[in-house]
Amino acid sequence: MSNFYNMPKLPTENSPKVEIFVDDKAVMVPGDTNLLEALKAVGIETPHVCYHPYLPVSGNCRQCLVEQEGPRGRMLVIACYTPVAPGMKIYTPASSARVKNARKATQEFMLVNHPLDCPICDKAGECTLQENYMEAGQNEGRMRPEYGKNYHGNPAHQFIDSKGQVRGGKHVDIGPRILLDEERCVQCDRCVRFMRTIAKDEQLQLAGRADHTYISTFPGEKLDHEYDLCVTDVCPTGAMTAKYFRFQKRVWLLSHTPTISMDDSLGANIWLDHADGRIYRMMPRCNPEVNRSWISNTTRLAFQTFGENRLPAMGLKVIKEAMGEGKVAIVAGGASTIEDLAAIKLLKETLGDKAEIFGGTFKKVGSPDGIAMSGDPMANRAGFKLMGIADDNLADLVKRASEFNVLLTVNADLFGEDAAAAKGLEKIATRIALSAFDDETAKKSTLAFGIKHWSEVQGTMVNCNNLLQKLNAAPTCPDAELRPAYEVISELAGKPFTSAFEAFKKAGEYASVLAGLAYDSIKSTGKLLEGGNA
Amino acid sequence: MARVIKQKPMNWVERLYVYECLRGLFTTLKHAARGFFRYEQLPTISYPEGQPDIPSNYRAKHRLMLRADGTPRCVACGMCAAACPAHCIFIEATKSDDPRIEKRVMRFDIDHLVCVFCGLCVEACPVDALRMDTKQIVFEHRTREEFVAHLEDLTNWDPKDYPEDAQSQMAPGGTKNAEARKVWGMEVK
Repeated sequence: MSNFYNMPKLPTENSPKVEIFVDDKAVMVPGDTNLLEALKAVGIETPHVCYHPYLPVSGNCRQCLVEQEGPRGRMLVIACYTPVAPGMKIYTPASSARVKNARKATQEFMLVNHPLDCPICDKAGECTLQENYMEAGQNEGRMRPEYGKNYHGNPAHQFIDSKGQVRGGKHVDIGPRILLDEERCVQCDRCVRFMRTIAKDEQLQLAGRADHTYISTFPGEKLDHEYDLCVTDVCPTGAMTAKYFRFQKRVWLLSHTPTISMDDSLGANIWLDHADGRIYRMMPRCNPEVNRSWISNTTRLAFQTFGENRLPAMGLKVIKEAMGEGKVAIVAGGASTIEDLAAIKLLKETLGDKAEIFGGTFKKVGSPDGIAMSGDPMANRAGFKLMGIADDNLADLVKRASEFNVLLTVNADLFGEDAAAAKGLEKIATRIALSAFDDETAKKSTLAFGIKHWSEVQGTMVNCNNLLQKLNAAPTCPDAELRPAYEVISELAGKPFTSAFEAFKKAGEYASVLAGLAYDSIKSTGKLLEGGNA
Repeated sequence: MARVIKQKPMNWVERLYVYECLRGLFTTLKHAARGFFRYEQLPTISYPEGQPDIPSNYRAKHRLMLRADGTPRCVACGMCAAACPAHCIFIEATKSDDPRIEKRVMRFDIDHLVCVFCGLCVEACPVDALRMDTKQIVFEHRTREEFVAHLEDLTNWDPKDYPEDAQSQMAPGGTKNAEARKVWGMEVK
């Protein structure tokens, strides 16, 4: 079983290169890591079930076997727990029939009592067992049909199915968000290790021994944690499935858009999985520097309201007329991208002394949880600082509310965040809301204009670690007429941006670190900005 | 290598052409006369009234097989839709109320205007739920929407039309339904 001390050491760009011999060919691999990662670095994928780069090594699945030349001849070792040593001789299935057979046998054992649930399993299509079967398994069936499946796990959940086979542990309600299928479980204990070492709340355990092992919570307890949906991601099989995604869509029908979650200043990297123009789920996108493979339930389940309660798109004539009269207070919300901020700065320049930019949130700023949340609800706070926009002067605005005639809020739900604090803003006669949702601020405003949500726009944000990250647009906008905030605001300023990149170039004029950057030069894992002040 | 077929040279009567021409006319007249007096011996079918005899393995309109309790066998795995080269199958799944069955089909639409009747969906089905043996080859409707066969339409078939098929007889109304129900209703511990 795992402990806290054997977290795998992952290769970095600075890893020392050592020479090892793979299938009698000399290759240079990162020297400070395990064999599995080292082989991956040179393009050799090793099938594995229990190994996860951000969980302690457990080494119980035995799927990643390779042969190593040792003092007593060639031995089978597990690649995930063997450190790389200079000059070691490794044999993979490419040259060794023994490794091939061993992996095949391991695979066969793993599937002996694994149910044929793939047609009804939510994991089918992204299941590690399926992948490994295609790579290492492909056994001919050696099970006698009259014997069939024989499930020995949790005796409380056993039953005999209509074919007379001993089955058990189907759709066990293990918590408010997760369903457990004990029969599909291969006892890799990834979920146990996740709850133990990452979530730091040991709610899951392996009960029983050998063939009778099954995943369980403590008696009378439920699996309930802010990060509990991550166990569905780490689960290599369909044992842990999320209730919200249950039977919603087969995973191969989903398209994936890599983007950034704009509900927290850590800017968790996510995949938006969408089909038929709506988001079906939000998955973590691995970024070693930001959220690794984890996202919180708050971030993950936020997508469920993205398509609901939306404001319709409208013409800008009224808003232009309304802006003409008196002093304008522009409030930028935390979900504004760098592009939106560039447009806001442009609008301020056009309006001159008449306008003033405010920024911030009425929400409480929490503390980082050390996994995938910084606790700061103002996602682009570092970007505000970078662009020279105040990120925390809403109190000032409320105090001086009577000075202004027009309040323009962009992506800022001031009344929804704290109605009491925002009450003073009602003194401003004309309140214009540019918002994706028909939220409290839109309801309180005199003019409400629909814009695109952050999941539907291209853009950039700077997270609390000063990492410039790229948002991509998922084609899930419910209304084709809706436009991104930067387009709308720049049109108000009279110099409309036709693309996000044009806005980004404009942002380069306000913040010198952004000048000269192209979207292509921002990697999927972000770009660390030098000399930022986050 | 090309096969050379040597034709028998025509004799002088044939080369005269007149005789052969009359022979051809006689064949036509013979069939026309048969149409008048021995209608049933004609090799062609007078289509709308007469229907062709279709073998059971002919790829005709789809049907969804039923379990002993009358629910569709389909578990909405989407294999047929994945195999479909014409993308004409639309499936939505939902949770089943039956404790033995986890997933059940909520929507199963086949657009027969798009369908190419290749039969790949039938081969892809892991639970033998989809078949194309209804022998129904005529699709005539007034609107495009009516060409889309829905779940009710696909499951609306009579076991009596499939007397040789044991699987069909397990559906409600079939001869083996009572037997299948016994197995289906097996004690669940």
